[in-house]
Amino acid sequence: MIVDRGRRRTLGALAAGAVASSSLVRAAEAFLPGPQPGPKSALSRALVALARRPGVVLPDGALAPALVESGLGAAVARAAGEATPVAAMRRLFRPTDVVGIKVNCLGGRGVSTHPQVALQLAAFLQAAGVPAGRIYVWDRTDRELRAAGFALSSSGVRVFGTNDAWGDLADWGPSASRFARVLVEDLTAVISCAVLKDHSLAGVTLSLKNWYGVVHNPNKLHAEGCAPYVAALSAHPLVRDKLRLAVVDGSLGQCQGGPGPAPNWSWPYGGFLASTDPVALDTVGWQVIEARRRELGLPTLAADGREPRYLAGAATLGVGVGEATRIETVEV
Amino acid sequence: MDRRGFVGSLAASGAGCAFAGARALAAGPLQDPFGPGTALPVEEGGLHPVPARWNRPLPGGAVECGVCPRACRITEGERGTCGTRENRKGTLYTLVHSRPCSVGLDPVEKKPFFHVLPGAAVLSLATPGCNLECRCCQNWEIAQARPEQVPSSTLPPDEVVALALRKGARLVAGTYTEPVVFSEYLLDIARAGRARGVRTLMVSNGYVQEQPLAELCGAIAAYKVDLKGFEPGFFQRHTGGELRHVLETLRRLKRHGTWTEIVALVIPTQNDSEAEVRALARFVRDELSADVPVHFTRFHPAYRLQNLPSTPVSTLERCRDVARAEGLRFVYLGNVPGHPGESTYCPGCGQLLVRRMGMAVAENRLQSGACPGCRRAIPGIWS
Repeated sequence: MIVDRGRRRTLGALAAGAVASSSLVRAAEAFLPGPQPGPKSALSRALVALARRPGVVLPDGALAPALVESGLGAAVARAAGEATPVAAMRRLFRPTDVVGIKVNCLGGRGVSTHPQVALQLAAFLQAAGVPAGRIYVWDRTDRELRAAGFALSSSGVRVFGTNDAWGDLADWGPSASRFARVLVEDLTAVISCAVLKDHSLAGVTLSLKNWYGVVHNPNKLHAEGCAPYVAALSAHPLVRDKLRLAVVDGSLGQCQGGPGPAPNWSWPYGGFLASTDPVALDTVGWQVIEARRRELGLPTLAADGREPRYLAGAATLGVGVGEATRIETVEV
Repeated sequence: MDRRGFVGSLAASGAGCAFAGARALAAGPLQDPFGPGTALPVEEGGLHPVPARWNRPLPGGAVECGVCPRACRITEGERGTCGTRENRKGTLYTLVHSRPCSVGLDPVEKKPFFHVLPGAAVLSLATPGCNLECRCCQNWEIAQARPEQVPSSTLPPDEVVALALRKGARLVAGTYTEPVVFSEYLLDIARAGRARGVRTLMVSNGYVQEQPLAELCGAIAAYKVDLKGFEPGFFQRHTGGELRHVLETLRRLKRHGTWTEIVALVIPTQNDSEAEVRALARFVRDELSADVPVHFTRFHPAYRLQNLPSTPVSTLERCRDVARAEGLRFVYLGNVPGHPGESTYCPGCGQLLVRRMGMAVAENRLQSGACPGCRRAIPGIWS
């Protein structure tokens, strides 16, 4: 990995420049495609921001609010090349967007996206001008959200499960699925807010594997180490075109025994990772897990026969940068 | 969802329940399949978790499912490929026991069983889920879904049997989706039915492990296997599974002495070569029996396979001719209503034995399971 503490401000200039007046903004929005973090496939390099906040996990398992705000904020800001998380959100999202924060609650209260992290992202978005009513925190089911500690909400920032609201069948290559109706019909932009976790078949589950929660048949997508499925799903226009930011809640990590919770393999990593490039983000997150495995004397995922091959597949499909030498990891 | 709404959803789903041309059966989705009702604890999403029967624990709290050859290794909170079996704190649960999503009354010919009580009514039922993903799945709305995504209601085994009897059916079939994934439920139905004279049928892809199959064979009356191809590469591409496991199921069914019929869905350009059909026929003849009925069935575009035409009838006739030439004695054409290939003929004297029109029996000349002309015994379940 290359550590580069410089900044890049090459993206989003169009949106940032069109601020002469609110009417101009509205006029521009009518014609422009809106804020975009990519085109990812054209990037020769990618940046992943990593904020370590040791102590963010409190003895009772809750997260320290100030450290969440500080760490997550620093990572988000740096990922977008801005000084603050609010500026970052302003750069990546419009007030007129409907933003979905896709969390991963499969691990219950063990290793799931922490509610504080998702809601902190929502707070940054609101401070950037996205109304609360246009921010959705969602996952597959109400049941899983509740089990992970989320309070469901139908007002303000909405928190809900897709449950049985799935769209029409879409054939996306390796499989055919119904996508979550909220993704198909409502959301204009998405944040993948994933976890830092080992996966017994895929190798790791980070921001790309998180998309298994937006289709109705994830159980059909686990052959071949999930590789063709994760790659193709992350390249689907419904996903790729709406993704603006990818975040990994690494306050707690799990380096073995996933995707279910395995407390004996969890550790308080105290990290928040963010990038506009989900492949680069997952490549860095994978290495964090590998490092922990080395510390514990576990074999590498490759030696365990479950290297996350889907990363190379996603890179080939233009979802992002998967080559480690082309990824800048910036600690903030 | 209340019961009336559930039944309505069945009619609307088109989940393989409706049929045309059947003899005087009150056929199709049942208007009121439920009796007074049995209250079972049902979780949010309509799940009714019951400990799964065939599995073994693995280190670290994972479980290996033992129902089908996939042998899914399922970690905490996850489900197997079928989407119906979930690991909860190291225990594997089936989420669909007693929770059918489709219940209907069909003629046995619809399954199809042509050598089981011709014209008999069958109470057909399904729960959501399947362990394969066939590209032309007819019932994908329920077969390729997870239990909480499909409206279901509660119908415990005893009530299934009682319902069948109320509707004049002496047969119950696990069908429409894949009964292997609800094997525990079907096994309990079969055992409950035996005591009351109701027999149970499996209408299955045959993707099942030895132990559950052995237990099912001890309780059911007949097993129909969808043999979706006879070329391993095609089978894998088309279903996501491995052909060898289905062939092994067929061999095991023979060893168990369970009455078996085979459906071979013929898909134009995909699995309709003479060589493949001939190989299939030789397998049946040499490893099973020339008396095993084989139904060459017409494909219609569905699910992910929309780019091919329906199978020409001439292709099915060619398949039948090849299979007969290889010595199979009971070869049928399926999904071709009115075709002579739907009927049963005596392999001894050639006399027409059972004349079928669509899924209806127009005439049954069998006498105590034998040809009235030459007295040759015809294999099957006739009484």
